[in-house]
Amino acid sequence: MTQTKSPVARIIIYVVLALFTIYNILPFGWTIMNSVKLPKDANSRTPRFIFSPTGQNYADLWLNASPEEFAPYGLALILIIFVLILIGFSAKRIPAPNSLVYMGCIFAGVIVAIGLPRVVNTAEFYDYLINSVIVTVGTLCVSLSIGALAGYGLARFRHVVSVYILVIALAFRSLPSLALVLPFYYLGQLSGLYDTHILLIFCLVAVNQPFTIWMLRSFFMEIPREIEEAAMIDGAGRLRSFVSVIVPIMWPGIITTGLFTLLLAYNDFLLARILTQINWTLPVGIAQFTGGEDPGHVTLAAAASVSTTLPILVVIIFFQKYLIRGLASGAVKG
Amino acid sequence: MNKGSFTFFVGPSVFIMLALMTLPLLASIVLGLHFITFRNLDEPLWVGLRNYQEVLGDPEFWDSLEFTILFIIAAVPLRIVLGLMFALLLDQVTRFRGLFIAAALVPFVMTPVVGTLIFRDMFDRGGPYWYWIQQLFDYRMFMNSTTVPILIVFHSIWTATPFAMIVLFAGLQTLPQESLEAARVDGATWLRQLWHIAIPHLRSLFVFIALISIMDSYRVFDSVFVLTQQNPIYDAETIMYYNFQVALSFGRLGKANAMSVLTVLGIFVVLIPFLVITYRDQVEES
Repeated sequence: MTQTKSPVARIIIYVVLALFTIYNILPFGWTIMNSVKLPKDANSRTPRFIFSPTGQNYADLWLNASPEEFAPYGLALILIIFVLILIGFSAKRIPAPNSLVYMGCIFAGVIVAIGLPRVVNTAEFYDYLINSVIVTVGTLCVSLSIGALAGYGLARFRHVVSVYILVIALAFRSLPSLALVLPFYYLGQLSGLYDTHILLIFCLVAVNQPFTIWMLRSFFMEIPREIEEAAMIDGAGRLRSFVSVIVPIMWPGIITTGLFTLLLAYNDFLLARILTQINWTLPVGIAQFTGGEDPGHVTLAAAASVSTTLPILVVIIFFQKYLIRGLASGAVKG
Repeated sequence: MNKGSFTFFVGPSVFIMLALMTLPLLASIVLGLHFITFRNLDEPLWVGLRNYQEVLGDPEFWDSLEFTILFIIAAVPLRIVLGLMFALLLDQVTRFRGLFIAAALVPFVMTPVVGTLIFRDMFDRGGPYWYWIQQLFDYRMFMNSTTVPILIVFHSIWTATPFAMIVLFAGLQTLPQESLEAARVDGATWLRQLWHIAIPHLRSLFVFIALISIMDSYRVFDSVFVLTQQNPIYDAETIMYYNFQVALSFGRLGKANAMSVLTVLGIFVVLIPFLVITYRDQVEES
């Protein structure tokens, strides 16, 4: 619509938007500050914006050992991460298939992540992070692979059966997940799968599936049929043409859907809270900081909040435009 | 695409949904007809509709339903109005647009449990909002059965307004340019453009956001769990939260399942018209 020319109005608009921006990020900024405060600064009656920072809260959160003990391992860890990132970025220069290099990097990262608690005494919070990563990655892989197949099938098979599946999926998507989880809880208790990653992953995949197929289908609908028809004339089968022709041009759609899946799996609290007992994920682990009068409590909770949020913020900063496109496309939100 | 390959492509997904959503729903119905606690997990006791009787006669259930409905009435319109307002403001500027949107994504993507935790800290004693409220209005805020429900609504607006804003802003970018041009030539003011072109054009998006918001608000759980600190004195239990408590805190699995069946029926009242519309759209399309 017409943009206003009046300078006064424009200044007011910018001021309001700036305030809105501050309102959006101030709580997180405040938490970052709290996470590096001493308890006496964090518990002061007037908010303190100036203080002498400390890393003690993060050390308390992540380690059962003293920071001095951890220092050499910490340096080694930073070095390893740095080298892995470097290798990842220069993968094209290395005389080996790219995918092998990436796989090698991921494999090395997994070894380091598993090995770390064996050399230093990490705190429980580290286990929560590992659980969260396993559950999130597991959910992403299963959900996207079967979701992409189904989304493609639903986009191409114009038949009333597709419509039934879509409408039922939509109904499922709006159900309160508690209705699905309580039977899972019961079955898990009986079968001994309770408190395992696999139960949580499949539960999250199921809860996520309706949204995934709707969103992926809407992306597949935008791809003209001629593209895979050309491949099929050349003799490729349905699956071949799907994997080698459609998927490569579908990456933006898959990344967008993946982002919403990632948010849902990583942020989920209710399912993880019900289906786990000690194998907590980060949101469940952090919920233990909701009460308590211990003065060190606020700063520790802040450090935990920042530690939980940073990974997701980094991912979102990298893939922001996909997320916004996903929202803007009006596809069903996660 | 023929039937065989359709089955192959859609099969795994449909199987997962059948096995992990349809079966649990049916199991919910069956479990709801039994008396189950942690002590008799492997030998549930058949009680027929007794659980449903108990739920419907439970004043706490009605309280939680009432609070949930009040929450929806308070939160949903505010999200849409604020979302539209900020979308319109965003439409007025070109510089820093990306920055404003990126900042708005922060509360939206943040883990709800964490978001609630840090939102509460802002209003807790010594937090910036607490301090500014005290300075401006000379009111020392503390958590009680008035402020906690208000904070739950506030928090939901904080996290959901960016979503409404981005969706509506994207909608504003697709306004029919010819009508806008014609309106400009006729000298229509911004307000008239908004009323006669933008709002009608955005109507389907309003419906979409309202539906998503109603469903999300209906099952709000995380923020209630954190803000009430599982303390009943705040009188802010939503229906999901009470359902969770009946299952895990009181260990009444049968009753909790009966309650979930009722909540599912409840959401279907809102959902069915929407499903019918979607069905018609899709049939037309194919």
